Amino acid sequence: MIINEGVVMMSVYDLKPGQTALVSGILGDEKLAKRLRALGANEGVKVRVKSFAPLGDPIIINFMGFDLAIRKRDAKNIVVKDII
Amino acid sequence: MVVADSKRMITAALIGNPNVGKTTLFNLLTGLNQHVGNWPGVTVEKKEGFINDNVKIVDLPGIYAMDTYSNEEKISKSFLESGDVDFILNIVDASNLHRNLYLTMQLKEFNIPIILILNMVDVAEKKGIKIDYENLSQLLGVMVVPIVASKGKGVDKIEELLSNGIFSKANHDNDIHYQNVVHFKSEAETYKYIEGILSQCLTYTSENTFTITERLDKILINKFLAYPIFIAIIYLIFQFTFSWVGQPLADLLDSFVNDWFVPHINILLSGANGWFKSLIVDGIIGGVGSVIVFLPVILALFLCISFLEDSGYMARVAFLMDKIIRKMGLSGKAFIPLIIGFGCNVPGVMSTRTLESEKDRKMTALLLPLMSCNARLPIYLVIAGALFKGHEAVVVASLYALGVIVAFFIGILFKNTIFKKDDEPFIIELPEYKLPELKSLALHTWEKGKGFLRKAGTIIFSVSIIVWLLSNFNFSGMTEIDKSFIAGIGRFISPVFIPLGFASWQNSVSLLTGIMAKEVVVGTMGVIYGGNLTKILPTVFTPISAISFLVFVLLYTPCISLIATMKKEYGSKMAMFSVAYQLVLAWLVSFIVYNGGSLILRIF
Repeated sequence: MIINEGVVMMSVYDLKPGQTALVSGILGDEKLAKRLRALGANEGVKVRVKSFAPLGDPIIINFMGFDLAIRKRDAKNIVVKDII
Repeated sequence: MVVADSKRMITAALIGNPNVGKTTLFNLLTGLNQHVGNWPGVTVEKKEGFINDNVKIVDLPGIYAMDTYSNEEKISKSFLESGDVDFILNIVDASNLHRNLYLTMQLKEFNIPIILILNMVDVAEKKGIKIDYENLSQLLGVMVVPIVASKGKGVDKIEELLSNGIFSKANHDNDIHYQNVVHFKSEAETYKYIEGILSQCLTYTSENTFTITERLDKILINKFLAYPIFIAIIYLIFQFTFSWVGQPLADLLDSFVNDWFVPHINILLSGANGWFKSLIVDGIIGGVGSVIVFLPVILALFLCISFLEDSGYMARVAFLMDKIIRKMGLSGKAFIPLIIGFGCNVPGVMSTRTLESEKDRKMTALLLPLMSCNARLPIYLVIAGALFKGHEAVVVASLYALGVIVAFFIGILFKNTIFKKDDEPFIIELPEYKLPELKSLALHTWEKGKGFLRKAGTIIFSVSIIVWLLSNFNFSGMTEIDKSFIAGIGRFISPVFIPLGFASWQNSVSLLTGIMAKEVVVGTMGVIYGGNLTKILPTVFTPISAISFLVFVLLYTPCISLIATMKKEYGSKMAMFSVAYQLVLAWLVSFIVYNGGSLILRIF
């Protein structure tokens, strides 16, 4: 869970493998945020957590039809809503 | 009729996302007519190829967007802005147009005509995606060519378009390729626009189901199987390179050089002066020959690496190793070059090219020489065999482990000092698995071999002559090695090794010649100590000074082939830094080992 200005939000980090949710925004490092947005992780896009690495980190997420490996630390910055 | 304008070389920029078949298309279009170099100032590969004599294709690095921060993106941007580009070949994955067209939208803003190449239309079809090319071309305002690069389908169409020279600057005006340039305020807006276009061009006939990639991933990155499989693959690569193919070929080449070529040269030169014969045979053939025999090993290793790279497995390795190697500030992908380094550091440094960020490339290249390569093994075996009979395995294994441990700490040190800036976030696409193209593999492998021969060859040639001169001459002419310049140099530097416990001109000279190739250390010792090393070495070394010497051999300056490779890939500054830091490092660690060891021995 992330607490941003007093509001509790959920991130990709909080999803279990197999769960899908909708992206509501990206926080943190602007470089990474820009890259993720350029790859299509924009508001309303479906993002699914596929699996964790054998050592627990990084994780594989899927959005816009392709798989992306991302570190958990960075996954916390992808804010999501509405688990499907 | 020959029009003056058509004589002009036309320049096309080939650009696209990673893993969309860009390299395959580039190879198909240009074949062996390629030139590989570096973009000025950065360690990013610059590939140029030619079609006939009038079209030049520049293969830009694979990128997802233009507006972020990497060197690859900056290079692409400034090249497109340079005014040298007549048109853009934008290759996209037809089965994932949404994401691929993001880059296309940015490319349109450069006001350069674009040919949009839809690759893998067969895969798209299999996934149940039907594309209306005509409509797509109209809506995007670009020319659209569907192809299947892996099967060579549709490539002739591109060649035809290029050779007709329809894009020479003169007839840019009033064609459709400038139209529909839209400026977007945000990424989300761009994607909305792309979605709008694609909804008019794509129809889905069936829903995408469980793919081969997902099935393979279930095994290859499985919680329990992933690491055993990875180790097995690395083991296979080493077997292939060092037991089955590479090394046997290298041995064959070696015996060809030494048992056939050298005797023939000897006969040929039988009438010549002694010194001239020695220069040719011992100096040049001995020096260059000892490096040339690396070639089969390098080719074999690169064939395997290219296979892993092209198949999509390499991205999974990065994913699997990231957590371990992150502590040194490297991304998971850096693991492969380091592993290769255990075989031979030279292809290890060459393969750092495949890493995404410049920081990763440089840092991995600097840590690589600490991985104990095969050439150092004979030294360990001879000295351990002479002084630690029955315990050779422990000694050798400890040295390998020490190299890894030292690399780990140096990695942490570098991370916090010289490579402190621009810590790039780790995100890596896991592409779909595919069977690599034979032609692409062959070209890739040959490219590496050619570069090694040309660049390393010239440097080694001159160094071989220098070393030969130094070890065969002094001021009064030709002489024995113990009276030569190199012995003098050995005597001059040997005081440096007094605190390390192995100061003698013989040891110093052995280490010096070891810069040619590490295994030469043993050969030189054989020559200078003259006789059975197993008997002589225990009189020269104490157990603790022998360990100190071995540690020094493990860590000190890389061999000339590696220095040459380092210079070729990263420039002289990096090569010099590598030599300097390793000399200091080797001295310090040997000092600690020797003095610490002596102290412990005195106490007990």
